Amino acid sequence: MYTKQRMAQGPRIRIDAASGIPAVRQIVDSLRVLFVEGQLIPGTMLPSVRRVAVELGVHFNTVAEAYRQLAAEGWLDLQHGRGAVVVPRNVPVVTNRARHDDLHNRLRGLVAQLRAEGISAASIADELRAIAKVVK
Amino acid sequence: MIMRLILCTVYIFIGALVFASPNMSRRELLFAVPVPPDFRQSRAGQHAIRMFRLVIVMVVAAAAGAMLLSPASFLSMTAAVAPIAIVLAGVITFRWQNHALAVAAIQFTGSREVEMSVAPDDLPRFAWLAGGPFVVLAAAATWLYLHWDRIPARFPVHFGADGQANRWAERTIKGVYGPLFFGTEICSWVLIMALAGWFGSRRSRSRPVMLGGVIAIEYILGLLFALIAVQPLTAIPIWAIVLSPMVILILLIIVMTRKMSEPWEPMDPTPNECWKADVFYYNPNDGALFVEKRDGLGYTFNFANRWSWALLLGLVLVIASVPFVLA
Repeated sequence: MYTKQRMAQGPRIRIDAASGIPAVRQIVDSLRVLFVEGQLIPGTMLPSVRRVAVELGVHFNTVAEAYRQLAAEGWLDLQHGRGAVVVPRNVPVVTNRARHDDLHNRLRGLVAQLRAEGISAASIADELRAIAKVVK
Repeated sequence: MIMRLILCTVYIFIGALVFASPNMSRRELLFAVPVPPDFRQSRAGQHAIRMFRLVIVMVVAAAAGAMLLSPASFLSMTAAVAPIAIVLAGVITFRWQNHALAVAAIQFTGSREVEMSVAPDDLPRFAWLAGGPFVVLAAAATWLYLHWDRIPARFPVHFGADGQANRWAERTIKGVYGPLFFGTEICSWVLIMALAGWFGSRRSRSRPVMLGGVIAIEYILGLLFALIAVQPLTAIPIWAIVLSPMVILILLIIVMTRKMSEPWEPMDPTPNECWKADVFYYNPNDGALFVEKRDGLGYTFNFANRWSWALLLGLVLVIASVPFVLA
């Protein structure tokens, strides 16, 4: 696996171009994990779109779109000339039924993928419990 | 005869570089084809390297023979054609082996990651050395200024294959300082390339090595043009001016080859389909301006990035300025 040498310690995101998952979704999902886990706290400034695009080998627009999606979710404040800054966010209650179904189906798909790769249901349940405890 | 021997040495030097080129790349690359690391030791890998080198040895031997034996009337033409023939043979044979090995090509896979912090991407400490060549050129200019009266009114600036001067310059600002102007231009361009390479490529352990290599090239060029500029005063032999940069270049290539072929990190998983002829990288979806090259050590442009064309235009302008700055 191609993984860059760690130059400094800090929260990192990783994408795999061969995974078949669009790069923008990989970036959004990875950053959201860092926000939820508190590795990127409010007030933190994210690196520029250019730097992230160069390091991840994606187009600048891909990173900009990821930042915009996260801003729309309420994680980031995008101010022209100031860059992307993590902002405090109140956790909303999922009231939209369609949104709830979408999240449920994504989780179901992931569990099915794990099962298809030979991981037992008990292991998956344990793993999910452990993740739910760690993720705030 | 001395000039013939110097030119033969130059051809052998060029030939040696081409001969060694299969070794001047990562183990995961052979003739710019991405292959498994142990492929070089396979029968197909060894055969490809052997065939390539056989052709190069034959062409270099022919070029050196022609230079030593050709009549005086053909000397200039031989001097011009021989190095082109060696390089052309290298390119054609490289492409030939590249095609032959295409069936063994693999796609480098893996993930890329980035640290989500705004920690500055500082240049390494040794980067200040990039100012050295400008100091050398300025020192040469100062020395020429201080000894202006000792500079001959007319002095040779170009020599034919027979070793005889065939172009002269006069003691004017352009004639005396021309090589220094041009040296400053080319060193400035190399410095811009070094900075663009640092800030326009992915962070990796080979990036500082690349920066060091480019700065070393800047030194070679700076020294070369400083030596050329002071030649009318010092009468440095032409062979010394020709061969000394070559010696430094050989040392640089050896160091760079050792440094950059170390298996520090896996190969950057640039998509195979974005490599045109396995040499030119064109990927509009990659934000990088420079990526690790496949046909040797170092970095190459991502030609889908418009800044690559701007940098190349800079080189064209530097070359186009020759008639204006050199006598």
